[in-house]
Amino acid sequence: MGWSVKRTRTFLTSATRLRALLGFAAIALLLAPGAYAQTASEEYVKPVPLLQGSAGFITNFEGGQPDLHPIVTPVVLLPIGQRWLFETRATFENDLVAVPGRPGFHGGPVEKEVEYAQLDFLANPYVTVTIGRFLTPFGIFNERLYPAWIRNLQSDPLVLPIGIGPSNASTGGMVRGGFKANRQLNINYAAYFSALSTTSPVDSDRFAGLRTGIFVPKARLELGGSFQHLLQQERSNLFGFHAIWQPAPLPLDIRGEYARSKRGSGYWVEPAYKLSQFPFLQNEMRRTQLVARYQQFFTGDLPSDSLPSVNTKQFEFGVNYYFMDGLRATTNYGRQFSSAGNLNVWTLGLTYRFVVPLGPAGRVP
Amino acid sequence: MKRKWLMIGSLGVMACLIRTAIAQEHERSDKGSSAVATAASSTATSNASHASASAQALRSSASEERAARLEGEKRFRTNCGRCHQPPHKFPPRVMATALRHMRVRAMLTDEDMRLILRYMTQ
Repeated sequence: MGWSVKRTRTFLTSATRLRALLGFAAIALLLAPGAYAQTASEEYVKPVPLLQGSAGFITNFEGGQPDLHPIVTPVVLLPIGQRWLFETRATFENDLVAVPGRPGFHGGPVEKEVEYAQLDFLANPYVTVTIGRFLTPFGIFNERLYPAWIRNLQSDPLVLPIGIGPSNASTGGMVRGGFKANRQLNINYAAYFSALSTTSPVDSDRFAGLRTGIFVPKARLELGGSFQHLLQQERSNLFGFHAIWQPAPLPLDIRGEYARSKRGSGYWVEPAYKLSQFPFLQNEMRRTQLVARYQQFFTGDLPSDSLPSVNTKQFEFGVNYYFMDGLRATTNYGRQFSSAGNLNVWTLGLTYRFVVPLGPAGRVP
Repeated sequence: MKRKWLMIGSLGVMACLIRTAIAQEHERSDKGSSAVATAASSTATSNASHASASAQALRSSASEERAARLEGEKRFRTNCGRCHQPPHKFPPRVMATALRHMRVRAMLTDEDMRLILRYMTQ
C-alpha cells in the first residue's frame, strides 16, 4: 500500500513537472508569430535537405592490444518551411580485434544506432522547441564535440557518461535558444525533460534538467553550467560546469568540463594549438594542431557500469594534421594511471566530414 | 571471410570519399581563380560607364555591404570556431540548412545566424 502511494506521488510529481515544461513550450509557441515575422522575411535563402556526417577509421592500442574501429555517422537534415527542421543522426560502427591463434582482425556484427531523431520548431528568435529523441544537453562534449571529425582527441573524456543518460540521449521535449543580452554578452539555454525508455538501443532515463551559458564574443570566452534532477532510482541531483576560451592573439582553443554525480565526479581540460604562427614551413604548419588533455575521475557513492570503477587519472597528447577542409589524420598517445593498473593508450586515425545536398543547392559563391 | 570483405569494403568507401574530397578541393581552387579573373575584368568595364551620382550611391551601399561581410566573417570565426574548424564556403542553400541546424545545436543567436548566412552566401 505504502509503495503504491509513493509510486502514485512520484508519478504525479513527474507529471506536474512535465506539465510545467509543456506549459512553458506552449507560452513560447503563443508568443511566436509576431516576434518571428521579421526573421522569417529576412531568411531569403531556401534551405535544401542535406545528408552530412563523418566517416572515420580509428585504430586504438589500449594496453598493447590493437582494435580497429571503422565508424560512419550520417546526419540527415530536412528543413520544412521556414521554421521547422527534422534532424537525425545514426551510427554504424564495428570493433575489430585480433583473436589469439587466428590470423587477422575479427569483430561482431556492425553496430547500428539512431543517436537522435528530433523535430525542431524555431518558435521565435529566442526559443526553439524540440521534441523526440535528442542528445542530452549536459556539459558540452556530448552535444557539441562528440562527432569524430570535430573532437580533437578520439578518446572520450572519462566523465562523459555523467548526466547524458544510458545511450547519450533523452526521449521527450526541450526548449532552447540563444539571444544577445547586450552588446558584450550572448546567453544560451536549454531546458529539457526526458521520459523513461527501456527499449534498447533507444533507452533513456527519466530526468529533467537545465543548461545555461554565457558567451562573451569580444573575449571569445564561453562559460556555462548544467543541472539535472534524476526522477528515478536514487532521485539525485547532478551538476557540471564547462568553459571554452579562444584567446584572440593565438590560434589556441582551451576547453574544459567538470561534472559531479552520486556515481562519480571528475574534470577534463584540453588545450589545442595550431602551429599557423610558425614562420617556417607555413603550408604544413597551418595544417598542424597539437592537442593535450588531462583528466581525473573520482568514484562516487554508487556504482556505475559506464564509469571507471576506481579513481583514475589520464594524460593524452596528440597531433592532428588537416589535409584539407574535412579530411584529417589524427594520432595521440596517453597514459592512464589507476589502482587497477597503469596502461598506455595509443590512437591512430583518419576522419572525414562529408556534405551532400539532396536537391539543387546553387553554386559556391 | 565475410568480415574481411566488410573491412575491404569500408576501406574502399574511405578511399572513394578521400578521392571525392581531393577532387572537390581542386574544383574549388579552380573556381576561385576564375572568379578573381572575372571580377577584375568586370570592375574595369563598370568604372568607365558609371556617372558620378550613381557612383556615390553605389559606394555607400558597397561600404555597407563590406561592413556586413566583415561582421559576418567575424561572427563566423567566433561562433563556428568554438567547436570545430570553420568550413570552406558551401552553396547558399546548403549553408542555409547547415545554419538552421547550427542555430539549434550551437544555440546561435538569430542575428549571428543571419550575418553568417549573408557572409557565407555572397
